[in-house]
Amino acid sequence: MLSPAYDLTFYEYDPEKDPESYGVLLCDFNHGKPPMKPLYMGLGWYWYYHGTRYGAETLCLPTTHGWDSRFINGYPYITAIRTTEEERKLREPVFKEKIRPFIEDFNGVWDAYKTELLRVYTEAKRSRGLVEWQDIRKLSNHELLDFFLDFAYILNRKEGEIHFVMLVAACYLNGLFQQQWRELLGVEPTIDPRFARCTAGGELEHQAAMVARELWRLARRAVEMGLEGAFAADPRETLRELSASEKGRQWLDEYREFLLRDGWRCQRMHAYDTPAWIEDPSLALGEIRLLLPQETFAPDAERARVIREREATEAEVLAAVPGPRREAFRLLMRAARMAGYWSEDHSYYCDLYIGALGRWIVTEFGRRFAEAGCIDDPEDVHFLHPNEIRKAAIPMGRINLRPYVERRKKEWERNLTVEPAPFMGDISQAEAIIRSDPSLLVSAQHPIVREELRADLYGAAAAPGYVEGVARVIMTADGLAELKPGEILVAPGTSPAWMVAFNLIRGVVTDGGGAFSHAVIMAREYGLPCVAGCVEATTKIKTGQRIRVDGDRGVVYVLDG
Amino acid sequence: MIQSGASRYVYWLPTLRKEDAPLVGRKSANLGEALRLGLRVPPGFAVSVRAYEDFLDCTQAGSRIREVVEQAGVDLESIEKLERLSARLREIVESQPLPAEIEDALADAYRELCGFCGRENVPVSTRSAGPVSRPGQYETYLNVVGAEEVAEMVRRVWASTFNSRSLAFRLRHGLPLERDPIGVTVLKMVNAKAAGVLFTADPNTGDRETMVIEANWGLGESVVSGEVTPDAFFLDKSTGQVRQKKLGRKVRLVTSAERGVADQETGWERQSVFCLSDAEAEEIGRLGRALEEHFGCPQDVEWAVDAEAGFPENVVLLQARPAVIAERKPAAEQVAEMLVKWFYG
Repeated sequence: MLSPAYDLTFYEYDPEKDPESYGVLLCDFNHGKPPMKPLYMGLGWYWYYHGTRYGAETLCLPTTHGWDSRFINGYPYITAIRTTEEERKLREPVFKEKIRPFIEDFNGVWDAYKTELLRVYTEAKRSRGLVEWQDIRKLSNHELLDFFLDFAYILNRKEGEIHFVMLVAACYLNGLFQQQWRELLGVEPTIDPRFARCTAGGELEHQAAMVARELWRLARRAVEMGLEGAFAADPRETLRELSASEKGRQWLDEYREFLLRDGWRCQRMHAYDTPAWIEDPSLALGEIRLLLPQETFAPDAERARVIREREATEAEVLAAVPGPRREAFRLLMRAARMAGYWSEDHSYYCDLYIGALGRWIVTEFGRRFAEAGCIDDPEDVHFLHPNEIRKAAIPMGRINLRPYVERRKKEWERNLTVEPAPFMGDISQAEAIIRSDPSLLVSAQHPIVREELRADLYGAAAAPGYVEGVARVIMTADGLAELKPGEILVAPGTSPAWMVAFNLIRGVVTDGGGAFSHAVIMAREYGLPCVAGCVEATTKIKTGQRIRVDGDRGVVYVLDG
Repeated sequence: MIQSGASRYVYWLPTLRKEDAPLVGRKSANLGEALRLGLRVPPGFAVSVRAYEDFLDCTQAGSRIREVVEQAGVDLESIEKLERLSARLREIVESQPLPAEIEDALADAYRELCGFCGRENVPVSTRSAGPVSRPGQYETYLNVVGAEEVAEMVRRVWASTFNSRSLAFRLRHGLPLERDPIGVTVLKMVNAKAAGVLFTADPNTGDRETMVIEANWGLGESVVSGEVTPDAFFLDKSTGQVRQKKLGRKVRLVTSAERGVADQETGWERQSVFCLSDAEAEEIGRLGRALEEHFGCPQDVEWAVDAEAGFPENVVLLQARPAVIAERKPAAEQVAEMLVKWFYG
């Protein structure tokens, strides 16, 4: 019998046939926990799986056609669609040509794509006369449905395709760089502090850092204008306070400009059920409040040092590479570093902006369906499928959508309590599958246990340095308000929604995330020690415990407890 | 060294020049040329191409081979048919006794070699030497002992011109299947401490300023066959000095057995150290540079370090031929190729 997936036949799992065809399917904890809601699975996430195949076929990857995926108990499982030996031979020469532009000028490729995405997003709004969040209410049901369909089939699709062409190239270049590091320098890169230094940023400021700088600038403005007192613990009160004075309103105008440009981001990536900054202006006020005492922007102070250290380490490493291989290694190192920059920069243009547009449209449908009596609660829209929205949008109020919602909601709530199995099938085949498609590593980690270090947690030496301090375990971005300056952040992983935290903390420990993840890149940028991919950091460490983070060796010690 | 000048079948290496390739094959001719440059080559002789041709004619093997090939009507697609044809043709060659004149010439030359080396039953290697270089196509036999066995192995080297990979090569290139006359190089075996290859330009990058040595303990066969990851030495061509070296994973080595050779596991202590000293590597590089200068193009060299001699006499040349070195590839193309290789791990 097939395992159902919220009526999404595309994702149904066949417990006999699927492991037989693929060997093993691996649970994607990174993106799939807590479980996604059905509307996002069928709409946004759908195009990511499409994107993996589009990326593999566009670059003509020799060993994979991209991912296949199933949902079991609401959790995503992924595997590679491997090519045959004959296919590999045919694809190899084509791949060598297709990958060249990424090797030579990774960022040049991305800049063109980024511009195109931004143009498509802004044109979708402009052509409909939409500027502010509230403007969407002006659309007729027909216009709203039209926007929804464009979103689903054009915007979302384009985003998924560009996203994965870039992601595949980034993963391959980064993977090769790690392999070459191992081969030429004889050290495991994830536990070599030089590796982290060489992949640290520098000359280019990615979008997340630019937004962090804007938030800091707005905080400075507020201080200059003598508005510090208006920033209360409750951001709603802050809004009221600011609106009450001339200066406050002037500041809010500047803030609004910022939100119209950079506020298209929801609190949680890969979901439509958390608010966007542009939707709820109070959201970023909390972050600005935390930044009020910061007289300098931390990355500015660190940047020169980070670049200097990177350049010195690069020179040292290149000298150790045999002469004939040096030039290629230098080029690969640069491409891998640009891929790292991309992985931070793309979140906004790919995951965040598109997610906020999706939230905009489906939230409005939720409101209209609830008002017209199709569902009980606007939030129930997250349990519908795109086709049900099409079915009910035009004869607004005549379709009862509750039966769809009820059973899927019940199933989703049950799935919330389920601990997903880490894999389905024969785990011994996992290595071969990941080898055939290293982009799967976006969703899988393997901590290296080194008994001789007698540590409490083993992970990747993601960003160098050494720090002791008080741990703060935070599970979601909503919990960031609890953070005190000088603490060490312990989290399942981080996303751009967490970035304000990096101005306050002294170190980072994460459950997930390889050399390539958000937390790691931010930590390098801010010069903070970071150990990533510890798997059980958030369960083993308790808030308030003193811990020692050794970012050079990728281990964490719990000092009391 | 004594010359048996009357023989059409055997030539001593010091008498040969590179122009003699049509007569004895390129391998023997190049070794003769190297000796004239003052490079060290183990003592040995060349069995002429004529010897093989006369063998085919006198024994009727040639005409039988022609018949079989004509009947076979082989096509490239059928590896199985090619294998069957190969087995039949080799059987024809290997089952014919050598004509007395050839057998005597080989026995005389071997006896003289033993005399020169000052020992009975000196072990030798027998390698194919085609007038046209066909690297890796034909068989080599190592540690061959005694006149009878030398004759036997010479015949087997000849027969290997009918191995299936050579047949497939000749089919693909429109060359006649029924004959590919070759000479044979017979060299005294070196009791090698270490051996391997030298490229006088970097074959991976096309960099002509760098020479690359790959080396393993024992005989060079383990390096040539690619069974182990050898130690690698990168030499600066202009200074001749070792610029960089990389320890290999030398888990196995090939060494002389009582007869022929044997594959052995390498002890940990020998895996963890380089099999050449820098001085030895630089001496190998010096041989390579002399060859490149003389022949006027990058060389692909096989060498050995003799366990029974002192430095630098212990560094000897076994073979030299023009290297197939790509033009230096742009770095981006090198990275693309590394990516492709990475897929297989």
